[in-house]
Formats: sequence, C-alpha cells, structure tokens
Amino acid sequence: MNAAIEKPESSAAKLTMLLAGVVILLMMALGLIMRATQGNLIQLDPALFYQIMTAHGAGMVGAAALTGAAILWYFVGRYVELIEGIYWAFLGLFLLGVVLILGGIFIGGYGGGWTFLFPLPAISGGAWTSSAAASFILGYISIGVGFLLYYLEVGRKLISKYGGISGALAWPLAFGSGKPEDAPPPTIVAAMATTIFNTIGIVVGAAVLISSLVNLLMPEFAVNALLAKNMTYFFGHVFINASIYMAVIAVYEIIPEYTGKPWKTSRAFALSWSAILLLVMIVYPHHLLQDTVMPAWALVMGQIISYLSGIPLLAVTAFSLCVYLRGSNIRWDLASALLVLGVAGWSVGSAPAIIDGMISVNKLMHNTLWVPGHFHIYLILGEVAMAFGFMAWLVKDARATGLAGMDRVAFWLYLLGGAGFTLMFLISGALSIPRRWAVHVPEWFLQDRIAAAFGALVVLAALFFVSNYARGLGKSRSS
Amino acid sequence: MQLTVLVVTLLFMGIIAAYFIAAVQASDAPQSEINFDARRSRLIWSLLAFGAVVTVASLWSWPHAVRTTSDVVTVNATGYQWYWEIDKESVPVGKPVVFNVHTADVTHGIGIVDPNGRLLVQTQAMPGYVNRVEHVFETAGLHKVICLEFCGIGHHDMVSEFNVVSKQVVRR
Ligand code: HEM
Ligand SMILES: [Cu+2]
Ligand SMILES: [Cu+2]
Repeated sequence: MNAAIEKPESSAAKLTMLLAGVVILLMMALGLIMRATQGNLIQLDPALFYQIMTAHGAGMVGAAALTGAAILWYFVGRYVELIEGIYWAFLGLFLLGVVLILGGIFIGGYGGGWTFLFPLPAISGGAWTSSAAASFILGYISIGVGFLLYYLEVGRKLISKYGGISGALAWPLAFGSGKPEDAPPPTIVAAMATTIFNTIGIVVGAAVLISSLVNLLMPEFAVNALLAKNMTYFFGHVFINASIYMAVIAVYEIIPEYTGKPWKTSRAFALSWSAILLLVMIVYPHHLLQDTVMPAWALVMGQIISYLSGIPLLAVTAFSLCVYLRGSNIRWDLASALLVLGVAGWSVGSAPAIIDGMISVNKLMHNTLWVPGHFHIYLILGEVAMAFGFMAWLVKDARATGLAGMDRVAFWLYLLGGAGFTLMFLISGALSIPRRWAVHVPEWFLQDRIAAAFGALVVLAALFFVSNYARGLGKSRSS
Repeated sequence: MQLTVLVVTLLFMGIIAAYFIAAVQASDAPQSEINFDARRSRLIWSLLAFGAVVTVASLWSWPHAVRTTSDVVTVNATGYQWYWEIDKESVPVGKPVVFNVHTADVTHGIGIVDPNGRLLVQTQAMPGYVNRVEHVFETAGLHKVICLEFCGIGHHDMVSEFNVVSKQVVRR
C-alpha cells in the first residue's frame, strides 16, 4: 500500500504488531527459561517458576489475541469504515490490563496460572495475597471490556453493511440459493463469525471472573467449582481459538497478492464458517474429560465435536489453500512463506489435539506435556507464524523481495526450532511427564534440554523477525 | 498404549504435512484440471465415516465405567495443598480398584504411575464433588500418586506411594 493513501487502521495495526512482537519475544524468553529450569540447566524457585508460567500463558494468549485483533481490524477496514477511536480505547484498556496482570504476578506474587481455575486464586496456600489475585483478575476484565467494545464496533458495522448477521455470514449462499458473486468477501464472513463467538466467550469469561473476584473479597460467596470450571474452559477455548480464526484473515487477504488469484467466498467456505461458529462453542467439554461427575453426554459431545472441528479446518481451510497453491505461481518471500506455514502448522497441530480429545486417550495424556505439545504447534507454527507473516508483509516495501539470505535462514530456523521443540513436548507427554511441574526428575532432564535447545532456535528466529520488522517500520517512515 | 498413540499421531501429522509440502512443490506446476470439489466431498465423507467408526469403537465400552461388584477394592484419596491422603497402603493385582477422589481445598488431579513411570489412570479432584475412577492393576510393585492439576506452588511436590501386591498378601 502506498504511504500517501495509508489508512488510519494501518498505523494502529503497525504499532500493535510492534508491541505484540516485543511481548511475544519476551514471553518466548520466559518459556525458554521454564524449559531450561525443567532441564536443571538453571535453578529457579518454584514460586517464581509458577509466576513465570502464569505470565507466559497469559502474555502469550494475550499477544495472540492482540495480533489477531490487529489483523482483523486492518483488513475489515478495507470494506467498512471503522471508528478509529474505538481501536485506541481497546488498545488502552488492553495495556491497562497488561499492567494490572504484570503487577499481580510480579509484584503481588500471583502464580495461579493463566486459567485462574476457581478456587485457586483465593486459596494459594500463602503464596500470594488476594489483592494480587484481584489485580490479575481485574486486568483480564479490563482486556475483556476492551474486546467487547472492539467487537461491538466491528459487529455493528458488518451487520449494517451486509444485511444482518445472516448476510455477513453468507447464509444465503450457504443455505439458500444465493450466488457466490453476491456473497461478502471471506474476510467479512470470518470477522462476523469470530465477532459472535468471541463476544459470547468473553461475556461468559467475564461472568466467571467477576464471580472469582467477589469470592476473593467475600470468601463466603461460594461458587460451584464445576460450573466455574465449565465456564472457564468455555471462555479459554473460545478465546484462544478466536485469535487463530482472526489471524487467518491475513491469509485470505495477503496470499492473493502473491498469486494474482482472488480468494473468494464459496459455498464450502460459507458452510465451513457456520460450522466453526457452532462447533467452537460446543467443543469445550474436551477440557473436562477427566471429570467423571460430568454428565456422560457432555463428555461424549466433547469427544465427537473435537473430531468434527477438524473437518472445516482440514477439508476446507487447509484443503482450499493447498488447491489454491497448486499452479498458482505464488511468489515466495518471508511474508507468504510464514502465512502458508501458519495454516500448515495449525492443521498439523490439530492431529494431536483431536487424538487427545478421545476420552480413553485423554485418561493417559491429559495434563501431561502432550497438551502443551499440541497447542504449541498451532500457536508457534500456526497463529504466531501468521502474525509474523503479517508483520513481514506490512513492511515488505522496505525489504528485499524474495525468500533469500537471512530471511530464508530465519524461516527455516523457526520451522526447525518450532517442530523440534513441540515434538519434544509430544514425546515427553507420551512418556507420562506431567505438565506444569516446576521441578523435573533427572530421568527427564535430557528431553527437557533438547527441547530448550530447539526453543532457543525459535527465539533466535523470532528475534530476527521482530527486529527486522522494527527496522522496516523505521525505513518506511523515513522514506 | 501411549507409544501407540504417539506413533499414530505422528503418522497423521506426517500425512497433513506431506499434503502441504506437495502443494507448495506444485505451486509452479501447470494448473491442473482435477475436479477438486469432488475430491473435497470425498475427503469430507471419508473423514465422517472414519470418525463414526472410531467414535463407536472408542466409546462402545464407556471409558469411565466403574464396577460395583463385590470384589471391588475401594480407595479413598483426598488432595490437600500439597499432599495426598490415601486410606490404603496396598491394593491387589488383578482386581478392580475404584478410587474415590476428593479434595479438601483447590482442584487437584490424581495420577497413578506404575513402577516404570508410566501413567496408568487419572481423574480430577474437584471441590464439592467425588470423581470416581477404576483401574485393574496388572503388575505388582511400588506405584506413585502424583498431582495432575495445577494447584499452586507445591503442585510438583504432591507425590505419594502405595503398593500393588499379589492377592495373597493384601492387608489393610
Ligand atoms: C520459544 C517459544 C516458546 C517456548 C520456549 C515456550 C515454553 C513453554 C513452557 C516450558 C511451558 C510450560 C510447560 C509445562 O506445562 O511444563 C509453556 C506453556 C505455555 N505456553 Fe509456551 N513456549 C513458547 C511459545 C509459546 C507461544 C508462541 C505461545 C502462544 C502464542 C505459548 C503459549 C503457552 C501457553 C498458553 C502455555 C500454558 C501455560 C500454563 O500451563 O499455565 N507459548 N510454554
Ligand atoms: Cu479446547
Ligand atoms: Cu497439583
């Protein structure tokens, strides 16, 4: 895009991606510190380890959501006029939330995990005060309010321009006799679907956060722990998935620039997004498969829906991209390579996720390192790869064309590091090593150390992506 | 079982990755005339059929089933920050053992690990609920009880032990 006609979304997105890029780098460094600690390469007090784990989890999920939000806002801005002030309010509330979260963790000592599973925030066994936990929770609420404002603006603009929710979701094409030419572009369909399910996710999240907050202040206010757990995982699942679903918009919008072939809303595409909208909200019981008091039908649903969720991803998103790539003469550079990697990593990561969604497998894999294994695949090699791809594309005019030199080295380093790092998690999970343990036994050190070495490659490559982006921003500003 | 799961998973991951690699390699090939919509439908129908088979096969006998026959040995286990309280020191080999899992404070997760470090079974310990899970031990020896739900700074320290013994020597 030419600087002279640069739209306001563009500077907001550029700043957001810079902030998020730096956060991702810092959080990756914290991740590396955790893995090195587990491998006994360095010593950390367990209290500090769990604070770092909490910061890494919350920080990474937050950064992923932030990059997804920037991508969605940027590209939806191509089709509708969005009020820029809302975005700045969103970003302001987000940063306020970050301050409250970091304060709760590193000043107040909160180390109850990013999932704040009730009643752990209130019952820390003396490790942190309720005000530390309250600060952490208020930080989430601030981010949640920011997101609600954001989605309100996106949702209302899409609804008014595309003929209501059904129009924006391309239902006439999906379920009626609508023609593909009349359907909204893929970006709009994706934005409408994520707006709906993430708004619902955040509202449920806010309800359980507020209950936890009240419980912190008035311990006699009891919450049903199983209900709170259902709500927490509903929120957590929807929220982290929404960040990937928002980020994939970058693929729809950017890849066509590299092939000259438009990415159109087809019937399969429209149907798949409606399926996603439904499935993403009813799949969360796969997080409760080891609660034998849950109604059996809910657990069965968790297993079946986990499997079904793979179908839109594999048979539509992945399949369509692969078909699209064949014979496309796509030009490769850092941006296009990372975006395609993002969809591939996301798809590959769905396999261990779906398999762990089987009750009988889950009995042996749940809360082992298998779990971070599967989600780091579709976060490091999926969502974050797409975010880095978007960043590279934003500054592509200031950079060399083609995938050569250091770009090429960094890309392969990232892929190799990410694959090795996550594979070690999966292997460790299969060897029954529990997740979220600050201290490992010596038999596990070797795997931990190999993982840390691969993790270091990821950090190196990410350092290159982010610093290059920052340099690119500087260059395009001065030119 | 875990290693089988790992191998099968890697196989599926490999297939998906190979599909992407092939597409990337074909990006500068001439456009093909294949009917991809028909292929997509075939893919969806095969995934659905495969899924139906796996679903039925894997849920035919309910994985969380707990027997109530008279030979069941019941163990009560309660999680505390940060230790386990278990009301039996040993359980027999070859008989169904049912764990009633409680917690006195936050959510914990009980995991039973065999002498080789292999996880055999787990369930969550939920405030206000009793999760029940059954296991039939196949080998005797010292088994570990670990915590599989993050419960605060002593989470990794919640390690206990109990013995699985051949039927004759069981005592309370
Ligand atoms: C160099 C890259 C990274 C490294 C070295 C790393 C390392 C780790 C480690 C060691 C853990 C704890 C594992 C355990 O349970 O014992 C962890 C957890 C986690 N990571 Fe990462 N990670 C990286 C990148 C990412 C990215 C890119 C994301 C998301 C965008 C992410 C999200 C998470 C989340 C949500 C958790 C769960 C925290 C919890 O269990 O409370 N990580 N990571
Ligand atoms: Cu989930
Ligand atoms: Cu624990």
